[in-house]
Amino acid sequence: MAKLELSEETKTGMEAVGAADLLIAVAVQVDADQLRAAATRSVLSMDASDHGSAQRTVVAFPGMSNVESVDKGEIERDEAAADSNLRFLPYSLASGTPSRIPWLAPASTYQALFGMARELGVSACAVIGFDLSALETNFLGPMLAPLREKRCELVMPLYALGKFDGLLNSSILAPLTRALYGKRVRFPLAPDFCISSNMLPELEIALQRTTAQGQDLFWPATEAAMRDCGICQVPVDTRHTTPSDGLDLSTVLAQTVGPLFAEMATNAPLWQRVRGSQPVETLGTALAPPADGHPADTTPMVETFQLGFRNLQEVWSLVLPPVTLLELKRLARVSGDRFHMPDELWVRIIYDFALAHRLRTLSRTHLLGALTPLYLGWVASYALEVGSVSAGEAEQRLEKLARAYEDGKPYLLSRWRWPDRFNP
Amino acid sequence: MWTQVSQSLHESMARVISRIATLLPGILALIVAVLFFAAIAWLLAWLLRALLIAIHIDERLVRGTNTIAEWSPTYTPTTLITRIVFWCIVLVGFLVGLEAFGASSDNLLTARLLGYIPNVVGAVVLLILGNVIARFLSRSVLIGAVNMNLHYARLLSLGIKWLVLVLTAAMVLDHLSIGAAIVDLAFGILFGGIVLALALAVGLGSRDLVSRSLEREAARPAPETMPEEQFRHF
Repeated sequence: MAKLELSEETKTGMEAVGAADLLIAVAVQVDADQLRAAATRSVLSMDASDHGSAQRTVVAFPGMSNVESVDKGEIERDEAAADSNLRFLPYSLASGTPSRIPWLAPASTYQALFGMARELGVSACAVIGFDLSALETNFLGPMLAPLREKRCELVMPLYALGKFDGLLNSSILAPLTRALYGKRVRFPLAPDFCISSNMLPELEIALQRTTAQGQDLFWPATEAAMRDCGICQVPVDTRHTTPSDGLDLSTVLAQTVGPLFAEMATNAPLWQRVRGSQPVETLGTALAPPADGHPADTTPMVETFQLGFRNLQEVWSLVLPPVTLLELKRLARVSGDRFHMPDELWVRIIYDFALAHRLRTLSRTHLLGALTPLYLGWVASYALEVGSVSAGEAEQRLEKLARAYEDGKPYLLSRWRWPDRFNP
Repeated sequence: MWTQVSQSLHESMARVISRIATLLPGILALIVAVLFFAAIAWLLAWLLRALLIAIHIDERLVRGTNTIAEWSPTYTPTTLITRIVFWCIVLVGFLVGLEAFGASSDNLLTARLLGYIPNVVGAVVLLILGNVIARFLSRSVLIGAVNMNLHYARLLSLGIKWLVLVLTAAMVLDHLSIGAAIVDLAFGILFGGIVLALALAVGLGSRDLVSRSLEREAARPAPETMPEEQFRHF
């Protein structure tokens, strides 16, 4: 069993709390007062909708410095103030490994949280990442229901997003994960999800391996797919707002796509055996996406793509084969409104970058930085294509892209197995 | 006459052969030293590789982005470290061999040339490092500038590359003791000239041009902040 990397104070706090049925694990820094209010409301509402069958719930949140000691009285006050079955447990990690993106919890945090869940003996664990939006909306009840009914072991949220929301997920993370591991999970890197206690020991071991390999991100859906665990999706009305202070797109791209490419290299023997994909059971009614805003202006993104083509050919030519470069050349000459990047081209670009990441063709920072203009080119092409259609039709467009990833998988397999044969 | 010519040729041949014969032990000592140290280097590199693999150095160093792997993407840290150790020991062996070679030779020119070899080795190392740094920085600046939508990205990248290369060249020449004072002076003038030219361009000559360019850049929404109003990437 994995060693629990928690501070002594946190362990003392856990002893004071005792056992529990449900752990609400908050993985990112949040305001403690807001958390208390939101969690209390959310748990009370869940218990009420569950016809009074209250369960012992612990809310673990990062709220204790290493020098502070646990105030048992504080825990008791919370207990009295909210509900006798709800307890708050601030925690701190023994060794802090801050994430480069503040709203993405590092894998070591998940490892500690799952360790806490195991120690507390819970039957389910609801992970709250990013911010408190999940607790402020109707999230816990619908997400935990499939676990109680034992319909699956991992419940992923199905966020209702607009056409131009979550584009990094729609263009790379979700379709690539689906093509690799064969499960159609719409948000594989969702910050909020629920898992059954059955999965906890295996996930702890997986996280130990992940952190030992120096990887920062935890991919719950990938781990579940690799272990053939049951995955469900539940539509939720949670909507996160991404804080962009001090973070540029290149950093976000490098910090999310880079770990996915690293996972590809680690799990290569497994995903090479997977063919096609299976749908994941969706429980509940799909929610209406938010209304579209103003028409999208794609000119700056097309300009960045063209600027990238003029200046980064030297770098791209190390990664992409000549035929892809030729297609990019044609694309760079097209004027703004007729700009269209075919799905097959985009898929091959991503697969070639994944291979270059594995082979270390050039510095990984440079590699992922050089992907940014290409990504903006895809966003511009997509925005021009779905600008005048409904969100449902845009979703169908993304489904087509995901199928293109699956269709292009033989190309990835060939390049992965015999990189020299296809070397540009 | 022919007898004298023949005698003269024989004597010179005998002198050359005698000189070569004098050098042979030195050359042999050089070869033996290099081979001996290469064997030691191979053994040490093998042991070091086993140790580094045992302590999972690659996994440890791969954390983060500013690591050895970033500067040398083709080789793993283990390979890089073992190769450096191997070649350092071979180099030491070569120097030991040269010392033995020098001791066996009483020629002044040979002694001077041998004394100069460490400078050449240092200069070659500097040149290699300078090239690696110049290429890395130039590529970093190019990619960063393109992602910031700067139209003069290539110019910036080339500027950085040549600045580092010129600095490297000055250091190499200084290390080789070639035109020491002139190189220092020339580099000072060149570097100072570039900075002064830029200062004058911004301050006087191209003030309007630069200010217009800066205004245009400031007015142009950055590609990664502008779409955030309409596009949410994550």
